[in-house]
Amino acid sequence: MTEGRGNDRTADVLIIGAGASGAAVAWSLSRSELNIVCLEQGRWTNPANYVTNNDDWEYRGLTDWAFDPNVRGRPEDYPVNDRNSPISPLMFNAVGGSTIHWTAHSPRMHPSDFKVKTLDGVADDWPLSYEDLEPFYDLNDEMMGCAGINGDPANPPRSPRQMPPLGLGEDGKKLAAGFDKLGWHWWPSDNYVNSVPYGGREACNYCGPNGLGCTLKAKASTDVTYWPIAIDNGVRLRTRCRVREITVDSDGRATGATYFDRNGKERHQSARMVVIAANGIGTPRLLLLSRSDAHPDGLANSSGLVGKNLMFHPYAIVTGVFPEGNEMETWKGPLGNIFMSQEFYESDPKRDFVRGYSYQIVRSSGPAWLARGGFADAIPWGEGHHEEFARQFGKTMALAVIGEDLPELHNEVVLDPDLVDGAGIPAPRVNYTLSVNSRSMLDDGIANGRRVFEAAGAVDVLANPLLRSGGWHLMGTAKMGLDPDASVVNEWGQAHDADNLFIVDGSIFVTAGGVNPTPTIQALALRTAEHIAQRLGAGRSGDTNGDEE
Amino acid sequence: MSPSRGGRLSDADRRALAVVMDRLVPPVDELPGAGEMGLASEVEQRARRHRPLRSALITVMDALSMDMAAHAAGGFRALSEEQQVDSLRQVEAAVPEQFAYFMQLVYTIYYMQPEVHERIGWPGGAVQPDGFDVEPFDESILETARQREPFWRRV
Repeated sequence: MTEGRGNDRTADVLIIGAGASGAAVAWSLSRSELNIVCLEQGRWTNPANYVTNNDDWEYRGLTDWAFDPNVRGRPEDYPVNDRNSPISPLMFNAVGGSTIHWTAHSPRMHPSDFKVKTLDGVADDWPLSYEDLEPFYDLNDEMMGCAGINGDPANPPRSPRQMPPLGLGEDGKKLAAGFDKLGWHWWPSDNYVNSVPYGGREACNYCGPNGLGCTLKAKASTDVTYWPIAIDNGVRLRTRCRVREITVDSDGRATGATYFDRNGKERHQSARMVVIAANGIGTPRLLLLSRSDAHPDGLANSSGLVGKNLMFHPYAIVTGVFPEGNEMETWKGPLGNIFMSQEFYESDPKRDFVRGYSYQIVRSSGPAWLARGGFADAIPWGEGHHEEFARQFGKTMALAVIGEDLPELHNEVVLDPDLVDGAGIPAPRVNYTLSVNSRSMLDDGIANGRRVFEAAGAVDVLANPLLRSGGWHLMGTAKMGLDPDASVVNEWGQAHDADNLFIVDGSIFVTAGGVNPTPTIQALALRTAEHIAQRLGAGRSGDTNGDEE
Repeated sequence: MSPSRGGRLSDADRRALAVVMDRLVPPVDELPGAGEMGLASEVEQRARRHRPLRSALITVMDALSMDMAAHAAGGFRALSEEQQVDSLRQVEAAVPEQFAYFMQLVYTIYYMQPEVHERIGWPGGAVQPDGFDVEPFDESILETARQREPFWRRV
């Protein structure tokens, strides 16, 4: 599907990356008469062929469908040198990007997340507010389809969700009772997973491992939400095209991108405006690769902040083992789409850390997943293996502690001097150290998690203090701000150093919040797209993805 | 054993691999160990399809072949079960990441077997298109949670 509007050699807008944010921008701008091209290094995936249709899906999840690109090693992946990081960055390269792999847990950031400097004296305030983003959160919910329910006391009131929450399952009910017993907050998660048919897509059938792609398209990945409409509207999406450099003119304004096509041939796509949507590692990599006379330290890097302030959400995992007689069959239902608790989300001066964390409740998966360790240690081999496996299988649940990482200059993405991708382009290297604040936060999450499991009746609690394979959320490496000396882009995602260059992925985050970032990434992308359309004087039509009234 | 030659396993290596798998996943109830179940060839085949797994398998088998006690005894299979476990523990300590990855492969193949599914009570096989039944959300469970006053931090 590469057909589209017009055949002009020069695109009005060139989008780099077809994942969560690139798709949102493409759809939004496609409602105008603009000539839009998107380059994506991955390819289309066919939901009908997802591995959960196969008996060996657990093997595939260990190999060519692994979350870690270094393990997966597909031709469309690029390696990431993560030896200097206790957390491995995770991503997926395809139309839909990492939304193919995500669990589609879709909370919003809180109003306080945008004002951390004012409220807590750390990091920086965002140059926009929750209220500025709220209409775009709503629009994104409509396009992706949100299952949830109003009334959460931990969050501001919001528009009705498109669908009721997913079923909690017997396991979810048991853990919810533990929170209730302690008087602690919990609330059904907002999820971009259909609890009933929506947007022309089926309802979830609770198969479990939706991180391996959703055969039913019940999970919203942008290849089945935004992209079909954007392409119908005329956007030209070119797959298996790996961008090597964003080109600029003598004034330093973007002129397009040089890329390798699916045959390895070097090409150039010229454009009047460039939008980068390549994630919090791919985007700084590309900017650093795009050195020129006008931008000797990398494109849009006069502040020196491209690649700096890398934030993950460091995860600790607390796993509860329930006793015999509690066969909850915790493999039933999507892994991470049950409920969340934000009892400890906001800063509390009584604690030895600033900011806070969420709990995302997660269940278990197939037997091999559990034996390999799930979120904790592998089941020991040798004598005792079967006994320990039987003790845990179908009887474990976990609390994922999602801590708010704060930006630090020394946590960074740089170009690796040796490692290259399949096209010979320098690969990114991540240098990251977990801060004392984040460590204290995770330890608090573990301690409180133990209390929850004890209240819920667990007989054993296992803790993984830092999940290495937890680098799902990549943020902060092209920070947003009003001061060109202290940020890379402005409040519209527009580069301070090149006014026709925009960034719309997680790299523009000022701070990380303590929730999964994708709804915020997409809301920011939609907001930027509105700004671009206004700037280009483009008229709009109003088609969306929801069921018609 | 000399599996590193050409990166492939010899027949002797394959027999040793089966014993290794029996030590990792021993017999239980009516089921034999993972090696005796005849899964070594599948482990090798699956490892061959994925470079990191192939590397892990070769590294572990190489390390085992260099174990001095096994050398003296005439090979890993000639060791007593207790010695085999000791040898595996030493290899695990020497190449922990590769050993862990190899072990994950062995576990994965073992827990893909229908007879194992039957024993552990797992429905087994592909999880699509059937999925599982979970009751729809019942709002009454929010009775306690709804009593909480809003506590999000105002800005």
